[in-house]
Amino acid sequence: MTTDELDPLIHVPTRLKIVATLAALPDGDALSFTRLQDMLGLTPGNLIIQLRKLEEAGYLSSEKTRNGSAQKTMVALTSQGRKALDAYTQALRGLLNGL
Amino acid sequence: MNPAPDTATTADNGGDFDPRQAAALLDQTTQQTRRRLEPAQPWLLVIRGVLVLAVFVAVWLNVRGQHPYRYPTAAVVPVPITFGVLNLVATLAVARRATAGVSGRSRLRRAEIAVLAVIWVGVFAVMGALAAAGVSDAVVYGWYPVTVPLIAAGLAWAGIMAARADWRACGTGLAVAVVGAAGVFAGPAGAWVVTGVGLCVTLLGSAAVIVWRQRRSVVQP
Repeated sequence: MTTDELDPLIHVPTRLKIVATLAALPDGDALSFTRLQDMLGLTPGNLIIQLRKLEEAGYLSSEKTRNGSAQKTMVALTSQGRKALDAYTQALRGLLNGL
Repeated sequence: MNPAPDTATTADNGGDFDPRQAAALLDQTTQQTRRRLEPAQPWLLVIRGVLVLAVFVAVWLNVRGQHPYRYPTAAVVPVPITFGVLNLVATLAVARRATAGVSGRSRLRRAEIAVLAVIWVGVFAVMGALAAAGVSDAVVYGWYPVTVPLIAAGLAWAGIMAARADWRACGTGLAVAVVGAAGVFAGPAGAWVVTGVGLCVTLLGSAAVIVWRQRRSVVQP
């Protein structure tokens, strides 16, 4: 088994942290963009770029809600994203057992 | 998602990201997230467990010499009431902080909060009705306030959590109800110490389970 078998979309430190954070939420829960940013300590620009890549792959979904003048973006891992992280974790386990 | 380029921080890639580093990062991030989003913080559960034992034992020491049982004296009554209010405020504040920015199933719905509120108000309304009806002090100021709220609230909480498939919280609710039921058999004075010890054990056990779940590795089963 080689690192090529690890999902390249997840096998990047920043995106791995995003996916792991969202996966720790119960299924069906979402996290606000600002709380996610606070938890990961990323700049808004970097977080947006990484989220967009994961969203384009179908790994997460985002929803904008408006409360008066304030706009809030909620981010959640999709079932496809959870499956991808499970597969990534399995592959990682296999690699570590082979080391 | 609105585009907002940040070229200085987008150069990362997985090319030289070692699997061992990835496993460590995955575990570390998951464990940190579990800790930060946990509404029932273990340190608070431990403090509540110790305090509930101290408060209930203090009341028991106050009433154990009464023959027949009357009620806790005016000097002691404010202690459990103050503890109950502080406990509620601290628990809600910590849970609110932990779940800030979280939406979805893990937050209590209005209907669930209403059910819990009705139960709490209801049990004490019934207590007032019992007192007005002339039921003995041993029941109204002994058995009832120590056991019935625990049984009713514990079962309601267990039911709500079972509907959400949150089996740890469901187990905690059932344990609280069992503690309340055990108090029924201990007599009006003994109920205070039995439920105090039972709640302390339940809260400490719950804290231990939460810590264990938070530290569990996702990579190494």
